[in-house]
Amino acid sequence: MVRRIEKVAVIGSGIMGGGIAALCAGAGVPTLLLDIVPFDLKEEEKNNPAARNRIVKAGLDGQLKAKPAAFFDKDTEVNLVQIGNLEDDFQKLADCDLIFEVVVENLKIKRSLFERLEKIKKPGAIIASNTSGLPLKEMAEGRTQEFKEHFIIMHFFNPVRYMKLLELVSGPDTKKEVCDFISQWGEKVLGKGIVWAKDTPNFIGNRIGVGLIGEALQILTEDEVTIPEFDAVFGPAFGMPKTAIFALCDLVGLDTINHLADNSYGLLVNDERRGIYQVPQFFKDLVAKGRLGKKTKDKAGFYKSETDMKTWKKITKVIDLKTGEYVEYDRKQTPDIVKKSKGAKTLAEKQQAIFYSDDRLSKIAWKLGARCLAYAANRVPEISDTIVGIDDAMRWGYALEAGPFEVWDNIGVRKSVEKMKADGMNVPENVSKMLAGGNETFYRVHQGKKQYFDFTSNSYKDVIVSKNCIFLADLRASNKVVKSNDSASLIDLGDGVFNIEFHTKMNAINKSMLDFMGEAAEYVMQNGIGLVLGNQAPGIPGAFSAGGDLAFMGGLAKEGKFSEIDAFIKNVHKGIMGLKYAPIPVVAAPYGMTLGGGCEVCLAADKIVAHAELYMGLVEIGAGLVPGGCGMIHLWQRYIESVPQSVTLNDYGAYVIPAFRAVAMAKVSTSAAEARKAGFLRPKDRIIMNKDYLIGEAKKEVLRMVDDGYTPPAKKKYPVMGQEAQGMVWAELFNMKCGSYLTPHMKVIAEKIIYCMTGGEARQGQLVTEEYLCKLEREAFVDLWRTESTQKMAENIMKTGKPLFL
Amino acid sequence: MRDAYIVSAVRTPGCRRGKGALAQTRPEDLLIQALNGAVEKIGLDKGEIDDVMIGCAFPEAEQGLNVGRIAVQMAGFPDSVSGATVNRFCASGLESIAQSAMRIMCGWSEVAMAGGIESMSIVPMGGNMPRPHPDWSKKNPDVYVSMGITAENVATRYKITRQMQDDFAYHSQMKAAAAQKNGLFTEILPTKAFKFTEKKDGTYVREEFIQNFDDGVRGDTTIEGLAKLRPAFSALGSVTAGNSSQTTDGAAASVIMSGDACKKYGIKPLAKLVCYVTAGVKADEMGVGPAYAIPKLLKKVGLDVKDIGLFEVNEAFASQAIYCCQQLGLYDNKAEWSSDSDSRRININGGAIALGHPLGCTGSKLAATLIANMQKKGVKYGIESMCIGGGMGAAALFELCQ
Repeated sequence: MVRRIEKVAVIGSGIMGGGIAALCAGAGVPTLLLDIVPFDLKEEEKNNPAARNRIVKAGLDGQLKAKPAAFFDKDTEVNLVQIGNLEDDFQKLADCDLIFEVVVENLKIKRSLFERLEKIKKPGAIIASNTSGLPLKEMAEGRTQEFKEHFIIMHFFNPVRYMKLLELVSGPDTKKEVCDFISQWGEKVLGKGIVWAKDTPNFIGNRIGVGLIGEALQILTEDEVTIPEFDAVFGPAFGMPKTAIFALCDLVGLDTINHLADNSYGLLVNDERRGIYQVPQFFKDLVAKGRLGKKTKDKAGFYKSETDMKTWKKITKVIDLKTGEYVEYDRKQTPDIVKKSKGAKTLAEKQQAIFYSDDRLSKIAWKLGARCLAYAANRVPEISDTIVGIDDAMRWGYALEAGPFEVWDNIGVRKSVEKMKADGMNVPENVSKMLAGGNETFYRVHQGKKQYFDFTSNSYKDVIVSKNCIFLADLRASNKVVKSNDSASLIDLGDGVFNIEFHTKMNAINKSMLDFMGEAAEYVMQNGIGLVLGNQAPGIPGAFSAGGDLAFMGGLAKEGKFSEIDAFIKNVHKGIMGLKYAPIPVVAAPYGMTLGGGCEVCLAADKIVAHAELYMGLVEIGAGLVPGGCGMIHLWQRYIESVPQSVTLNDYGAYVIPAFRAVAMAKVSTSAAEARKAGFLRPKDRIIMNKDYLIGEAKKEVLRMVDDGYTPPAKKKYPVMGQEAQGMVWAELFNMKCGSYLTPHMKVIAEKIIYCMTGGEARQGQLVTEEYLCKLEREAFVDLWRTESTQKMAENIMKTGKPLFL
Repeated sequence: MRDAYIVSAVRTPGCRRGKGALAQTRPEDLLIQALNGAVEKIGLDKGEIDDVMIGCAFPEAEQGLNVGRIAVQMAGFPDSVSGATVNRFCASGLESIAQSAMRIMCGWSEVAMAGGIESMSIVPMGGNMPRPHPDWSKKNPDVYVSMGITAENVATRYKITRQMQDDFAYHSQMKAAAAQKNGLFTEILPTKAFKFTEKKDGTYVREEFIQNFDDGVRGDTTIEGLAKLRPAFSALGSVTAGNSSQTTDGAAASVIMSGDACKKYGIKPLAKLVCYVTAGVKADEMGVGPAYAIPKLLKKVGLDVKDIGLFEVNEAFASQAIYCCQQLGLYDNKAEWSSDSDSRRININGGAIALGHPLGCTGSKLAATLIANMQKKGVKYGIESMCIGGGMGAAALFELCQ
């Protein structure tokens, strides 16, 4: 039998259940979302379907309103979600191929639900529990063999759409075929990173994560260190998210952390650090007082933010553990080692700065770090057969840049072990053994393959990744870089396909990158068959390219070298159009922030293969500019090409207005689906759920296009709306200016945008050349740089990252 | 010159754009009911009508193709009855009355009709394809400026405060709510309307129903509630959705005859159109129009403000309506317009803030309302006036026939 998931069900519509339902719908799978009938129905409501579905409806509404958004495109995707309740609609579960159980973490309730499910489920249908810690063995007790064979734990992380980790746990009876299928389905269809965990309390992510929190709580009570200090050290300075440790507790909810810690304490009788799961009294007091963090009404947990009613300024306060009061603190005060770390170039140097500096905070950071690293090593093979599983879980589930063993490699395994010994710590036996064998790192690249150290066999083994994943770092390590400069590299993806990888800060596009792209394209035309524009910057969502490098042009403008800006843009246009009309297929693989120049590069490609998390837009107006890399031209072409040529367009305005708005209002999509709605993605462009598949899928597209007999797009003229549009838009801009919604210089820029997008002095419906439109764009771009206002706006965004409206 | 008499004047309810009861009913379907209603009320044979003038502010798309002639045909008038569409934006429905009346007065017609139509739900304000002249919109965009901005300009230039506007709006709502409750809108014609609904089996049907009241009136309006609304047109402005007219769907029609025709058909006239004037003002403060048109009218007929028993001054925006009342000396004495005053003369049953402003229909709609009120109150002279986009005002004087 070929297994297919044609319909899923999610039982439980809370934050996790609702999130799973939204993700499934976002992946295009019809989803039945069920919850209980409210207990408190009034007599007259008992036969009212709306009242009976009140809980599930509220759950779905919560997802529709969630921030950040739970759906990629809620207007379309919500139609895939059918809601119901567990009394009237239970029979509908009989049609479902995969049923998620996301009810309250209570063994008795889960068991009785499974008993009911067992009686009606389709034979072969998979039942997946999203428990965050209950043993599979106990949940499956008393069920039939058929049930057990199709029972699995699929543990998602919150928020479900954004957290990549999906922990899978199988039982002794779970069929291998079910495990393999779910692993592939979760990776490909839902786009998750799969980690196989064992049936141990809190699995991997929360075992290590809550362990870290437990250690930190204990150190808080032992040493002289403040909560903000801890969070500053273990934030971005260490390759961890801004929420670090204690703000993370506020985000997740102190009650949840408490519950997880209790679960660990109760079940992990032999854990060598069991004590840390007995959280300090002050933490228990916070939970008892209902200070659970962001989820509580005044949002007080470890931190609390208030607004000063006099100045309307936000004040951040932190709890004083001695008094229990919230006191103000200076968020801008940065500890010395954090400054030192920020100055470092690589993550390894940052982490070394944090652990190996000679000051109070570094010693405390080291204490926490060393304990956690040792704890992680001692968990192999208890919770995971390999160190890879632990690193993946921590990167994907806790948004760390590096998992514990990667951190360990970064700071030097031997050096740190010596330090541990000097501090009188117990060094994990498996690590000592590894070092004793002369193996200095947990990971290495061997004969072009990434390998990890396997404690069981005491040897290196290949890291197995899905064959759909291509990692540029691995290719780089195995000498597949054929050309490179300080901003970009050309990497051989095999089969004649090459990849241009950006590697500047935020992957901003600069002059040397542009020059490189030209050279790289030349090289591929000589030596290959097609080109992928892809990179894999870390972070959630990360940046494919956050735009153009303003500093270069800002410098030229300051010196009054406008003819050089003009020449530069001419060159940009040559490069962009060169890519577009190159005799080889070019496929862009954007993800995350794809703004300004980054967006323009993608718009010139033959095809876009985008990650579902695509934040794309032409945002140049925020920097005081119009797009300078043919962005307006290509966006308008996308609008016009969406209409069959047999249609005679009468109302160009219906097309011009949304295209103009996208640029003039610097609209950024919040998903690839939205980018498609806004016209940035064409119908034939693809959306990929799994970010790690992007470059592989882009390569496949190149091969397919070559196979189909690739010819570059034919040069042609495009119709524009001409000055008719300008009459319409200028009149509206005047209204906005009168209403103080538009500042004077922004109005000037908006007027230039509509001038460029509608072909300057052309009449309505006039067919114009791209060269003409490029000229208009270039002139507008240079004219703006000549103004003091644009120079100020550009400078402001470079300095503060925020637009200044002049 | 002969006199022209209004012998019948009716209107459909005015209903909110988009969500209101008439939003899914074609403008022609509203207009034909108004035309037929006006004729049937006096029992006149349709073939006796010479010509029909229909006001419409955006005569395009569903309201295009000379809706004035098409509606006459759809309404079952014989082919001999001609029709035209006239556009003077918000005065279109009054312009149509004036033009038909002038035909009678100069002896070119014996019986004519006038009316107005606007489905703002179906043809948006500004039209479907706005195309300001590119050069002119760069040089002098005032001509195309949004009406909301002109209202802001009136408020700032003539110091009409937010509090004054909200207060005026509140009283408009209270007057309308009371009139509605007491059944004073006798000029309303119960109107057949449509809505498109999805049935349980997934098929769509067009359902018919009767609408007989203005659905934008908010009897629960409070000053505090109005004060909370954000400015609608300017970030720092004072004009809000609550103190502006509502965008509305509606139609109205009237029958106008010579004295001879009244005798011939044995029809008792309601009122005489004495005079109609228009005045041009600055485009960016078009709301002041009535402040110029009404004095011009009074001067022409040799009357004074005190001689006029009732006014219908269209409330496009509270700011401009207040300014115009101020200029006529009718604002400072709150008894002239307040809902708790029995001696009020301004918009006695509420204005467009509560009852809606279906652009091209408004002139004919307010005429129907004014004449009905004049009859009820036995008032000799009534004035109808409004401001007009692009910078104009229009005013007409009606005299009650005893």
